[in-house]
Amino acid sequence: MVEILIVGAVSSAIYAMLAVGFTLIFGVARVLNLAHGSFYALGAYGAYFFTSTLKMPLALGALLSVALVAAFGIGVERVLIRPMRKSQLAVLMISLAVALVIEQALFLTFGSEYRNVPAFVDTKFRIGHVDIGGARLLALGVSVVLIGALWLFIQKTRVGSAILAISQDPVAAQYMGIPSDRIFAVVMGLSAALAAAAGILAGPFLTVQPTMWLLPIVKAFAIVVVGGLGSIPGSILAALMLGYAETIVGYTVSTSWTEIVSVLATLLMLVIRPAGIFGRRAAF
Amino acid sequence: MSALLEVSRLNKHFGGLHAVKDVSFTVERGEVIGILGPNGAGKTTVYNLLTGFIAPDAGSTVIFDGRPVLGLAPHRIAGLGISRTFQLCRPFVGLSVMENVIVGGLGPARDRSARLHDRAASLLQRVGLAGKAEVAVEVLSYGDQRRLEIARALAARPALLMLDEPFAGLGSAEIADLSTLIRQLHADEGLTVILIEHKLREFMRLVSRVIALDFGEVIAEGTPEQIVVHPAVIEAYIGRGNEGSVDAA
Amino acid sequence: MFGRRIDRLGVAAFVVFMALLPLVFPGNYLIGVLTVSVIYGIWAVSWDFMSGLTGRENFGHSLFIGVGAYTAGFMNTSFGLNGWWSLPAAMLVAMLFALLIGLPTLRLKGPYFALAMLSGAVIMQRLMLIFWEQTGGEEGINGLEPLIRSQLGFYYFALAALCAITALLALLARSHWGLILRAIKGDEATCQAAGINVTLYKIVSLIISAAFAGAGGAMYAHYQLQVSPQLFAVVTSITIITMVYVGGMGSIYGPVGGAILLVLLTELLRRFGEWRLMIYSVTLILILFFLPNGLIAPIWRRVRATWERRT
Repeated sequence: MVEILIVGAVSSAIYAMLAVGFTLIFGVARVLNLAHGSFYALGAYGAYFFTSTLKMPLALGALLSVALVAAFGIGVERVLIRPMRKSQLAVLMISLAVALVIEQALFLTFGSEYRNVPAFVDTKFRIGHVDIGGARLLALGVSVVLIGALWLFIQKTRVGSAILAISQDPVAAQYMGIPSDRIFAVVMGLSAALAAAAGILAGPFLTVQPTMWLLPIVKAFAIVVVGGLGSIPGSILAALMLGYAETIVGYTVSTSWTEIVSVLATLLMLVIRPAGIFGRRAAF
Repeated sequence: MSALLEVSRLNKHFGGLHAVKDVSFTVERGEVIGILGPNGAGKTTVYNLLTGFIAPDAGSTVIFDGRPVLGLAPHRIAGLGISRTFQLCRPFVGLSVMENVIVGGLGPARDRSARLHDRAASLLQRVGLAGKAEVAVEVLSYGDQRRLEIARALAARPALLMLDEPFAGLGSAEIADLSTLIRQLHADEGLTVILIEHKLREFMRLVSRVIALDFGEVIAEGTPEQIVVHPAVIEAYIGRGNEGSVDAA
Repeated sequence: MFGRRIDRLGVAAFVVFMALLPLVFPGNYLIGVLTVSVIYGIWAVSWDFMSGLTGRENFGHSLFIGVGAYTAGFMNTSFGLNGWWSLPAAMLVAMLFALLIGLPTLRLKGPYFALAMLSGAVIMQRLMLIFWEQTGGEEGINGLEPLIRSQLGFYYFALAALCAITALLALLARSHWGLILRAIKGDEATCQAAGINVTLYKIVSLIISAAFAGAGGAMYAHYQLQVSPQLFAVVTSITIITMVYVGGMGSIYGPVGGAILLVLLTELLRRFGEWRLMIYSVTLILILFFLPNGLIAPIWRRVRATWERRT
């Protein structure tokens, strides 16, 4: 029971980091970026590369990985997504193509075997009657901190207000002189960084292989649909729901069914209430 | 003979906003009537309620040609003999002018292929677009797009034609031409026409009866001459700063 | 497409070319490549009929392909039925799936429909792995019998099927049906206002698209003699979409050329081995950027225009 509580929380936290970034991009730029899962993968692989191949200390490698992925995300937005923004479908296709290119690049560079991303904390902790890996606890803690920091950033800074403004009314925001393009870049960098961080934190206990981008994006999409596109509180709530639903299914039925939970949830939500729990336009 | 369209106690709430309040009116066969009202009065909402694009609140009744139409899908209502245009021109992008009109006639009341093609050609002739049949709709002028909309709406041989601000965005010469066209089509096709506008001048010449809306309710009903001097109508317009004489955005 | 003389000549030239190729360059390798390219052509054409015309891009076409292939696999191995029964059965099953998934998802806006279909394909792939005892899991179903023993014979059968399917879909696309689908792409609400039952047209078109995708899946199963969950992969759907983009969305005949071109190109790139998929994906990006109208259809239109100017 305690185990389910904690493992569920860890899953939810990781999913929340992915979903919040995904929904942020949608809220601001009105695009669904399917390469989001690739940022997650690149974060994990970056950490692996810097630590295993370049023998850097983990903290440095992790930070470097996050920074590079953020920069890469900004670059992708600038070069590939921005010109296509007039058509949501075109962005979908392009971002999917980018995701495939990155998957192939990772495959060609690192091969298809599972890679080992080292954990910050290797020891196991005892909570209640259960042993929980330190890496999972750390993931939970850091996720909460990062999402909290993001929330503060959006609520308290000028850039954050700009983000809110654009989410609510992109045209009005432009009239007010808000530099939309620069804000898009910031949002892209932030969400890519969050996704990379999720990859680094989850790497130690989730599989790291070139195709690891697909399931996170399917789940992020599921969460964002259930929570309401563009709504950060919605994403967090839905991430909790889905994270726990998966964990419970994994412990009670079998682990192979967990992947389907989110996809089924998406389909059901799309059918019953496409606007999600908090509706499409709810800003933070 | 019963009225073609009977609307009773039409209501619509959007959350807390009571957008359409107890609207009731009838339309007899062969009439040309106008729905008048300032921006935001709920005119297009009424259209959307009548044509099935929005669901009205319970208690509303809409009877077309003796049949209740509430709850029917938009395409079913259109199939009963109602055609409408939209406030902003919405041509089928990617199709030619002729193809646009043909699609208009492919609903349930369709003719066989050959006759549909002829009818489309003759409609284009009537609205003055015959020379542009093969042109892609994207390059048409706005005035031409309006004419196309009307031709397309007529392809289905409707009994009732509902026009939503047909004169919006047109210059005075184009308005006069379009007005004449509508009058001719009304006579030749045996149509009943409802017209939404918020410019009084065009109404005077075209319609025989006007229903004035403001804030979602009917505030007056009568001939154009009666409406123009009706105190409630004047207040709705003058009270908001002469909106009646301002061109549509 | 069949109306004008130049088009008829083009079709004839294509068929003759495809039919003669394996005779001029004998060898099972080429026949194999051509067979695969023809089956991809069937998949691409079936996708274009629905998604190309209506603009509702379906990111989960592999769902129908896989479902058709697995139906063929089960019927042939578990029920021991002759391969020729698989084809209609695969079509029926695929059509059923299209109805089930289309009804709730087709009313969603563009990107959501695309991703919902993608989710459907992902679910099916998972299910094949979860129920590994019945479906053979990762390895899938093996030991199917070929439909036609001769490689060449099967190729000609596939080619004939491609021609028949393309002809049928092209005819539908040129008819009022196709006109309505294109109008739906233009403006759905206005179609409804014109009395057209948009949902019905979308669903039936998806069902038709699925039927032929499933048929292609069954043919592929009886060609590879095995069926695996890989058929449901995202890559398959994206490859097909790339072929349609190269061919020219909505042209029906373009995707056929796109499929054959891309499969042949991939074979030529075979010595790049693992780089193939990468090249594919980069190609897709380049095409989306520089050739949004495709390659084949615009070129053919140019050819046609030049011909008509000469005569």
